[in-house]
Amino acid sequence: MVKQADELRDVEDAIRGALASVHDPEIPPLSIVDLGIVERVDVMAATVEVDLLPTFAGCPALDVIRADTTRAVGDVAGDREVTVRFVYDPPWTSDRISPEGRLALRTYGLTPPGDRPGPVFVPLATLGGGPRGAGGAGGAGATPATCPFCGSADTELESAFGPTLCRSTHLCRACRNPFEAFKPKLAG
Amino acid sequence: MTIDEPHTTLLLAIADDELILGHRHSEWTGWAPHLEEDLAFSSIAQDEMAHARLLFGLLEGDEDRWALGREPSGYRNAVLCERPNRDWGFTIARQYLYDLADDVRTEALTGSSWKELADLARLMRLEERYHLQHARAWFERLAHGPVTGRQHLADGLEAAVPEALALFEPLPDEGSVVADGALPRSSQDMLQEWLERVGADLEAASLDFVLERHAPVGEMVPTGSGEVPVAEPLTVPGVARRDGRWVHEGAFAGAGGRQGQHSEDFTPLWEDLTGLYRAHPGARW
Repeated sequence: MVKQADELRDVEDAIRGALASVHDPEIPPLSIVDLGIVERVDVMAATVEVDLLPTFAGCPALDVIRADTTRAVGDVAGDREVTVRFVYDPPWTSDRISPEGRLALRTYGLTPPGDRPGPVFVPLATLGGGPRGAGGAGGAGATPATCPFCGSADTELESAFGPTLCRSTHLCRACRNPFEAFKPKLAG
Repeated sequence: MTIDEPHTTLLLAIADDELILGHRHSEWTGWAPHLEEDLAFSSIAQDEMAHARLLFGLLEGDEDRWALGREPSGYRNAVLCERPNRDWGFTIARQYLYDLADDVRTEALTGSSWKELADLARLMRLEERYHLQHARAWFERLAHGPVTGRQHLADGLEAAVPEALALFEPLPDEGSVVADGALPRSSQDMLQEWLERVGADLEAASLDFVLERHAPVGEMVPTGSGEVPVAEPLTVPGVARRDGRWVHEGAFAGAGGRQGQHSEDFTPLWEDLTGLYRAHPGARW
């Protein structure tokens, strides 16, 4: 019995290690463990079950992540049958990204998500006599994203929507670089 | 599991709204007034279609078959969602009215006794908040901007409001899903909350005249093969201000999108959406 328990623990350790080697294909330095989407790992005598949480429901990387996870876990699971599935309870939120994950985002040139839901900005809001940033620009209380290149907080939101579902686009007034941030996804 | 089973109807009403409006949003890809809006509507379309996919996943059978394999009369989306984009004013008016309705609806569904549906409602709300903020930001932008844009918004609202009321057309056999808690609030109850919120926003922008001056709902025509029994055209409740509150007066009569009655705009959309699937049944992406 003890031996069996030891063996299960060893396999589970190996699987945890394998999961840390699976990376988000759209953000290569970021592992799925640091992204916070590994919700449950259950190692049994003949099976391994892994539950993942989708980040954004329409993210096309999800199918790739599931396939990569199945392969990586299968490599260390021996003869066990591996099942990887997405579950929706609890919903993934951006505060599940680990400190290591936030650092990985920065090294990739992406600003980590803020601590509250981001605003939505209407581009061209200064044209045509309307009040600057009026109407749900949501500037009040929202923390500006800091520039991943120079670290300045003197930045402006360009759009809450970007090249992927999880990214917003910004401009740094200090170093004049456009940059992208991981969109906060939080309740409230 | 047939389309007319009450839980299936409840789920299809939501999923089909997201699918069909998502398709309309996607038509802005490459054509929006500027790049940021191109990305915004493309992203919103991607979210909405993903939500439809998750919802179809709660039903038995292949999600592609649910999304693409039904005859037009099998779709339960509200007619508002299938209307062409027209212009930017209508697009924003519709997105605002729809996403506010979706906010009311998904909030109610987080308390659903159908646990998987409640889970998805919670998940959807985290993404929908950005949609609603986008619509609100543009609503304010147009309402308080130059007069031409404001007029486009007012025209769009006037065209969209009556069919937006029909987002809350009661589902056939709604009583049974309300009774077992799958739908925690009746359509009529949700309509009243939506109307009060819309009314407050429109009053703040001095656009509330569109609530009382709306045109009658366009005539619904049966879609598809013509074998659909012709139902009475849908009429929607009137809207009036009473004792400082916006209230709906009268009730829905006839049949609209929730009963599979669609407008003349649905068939071309359906042909576009399902063409590949019909030409190659069972095709995998």
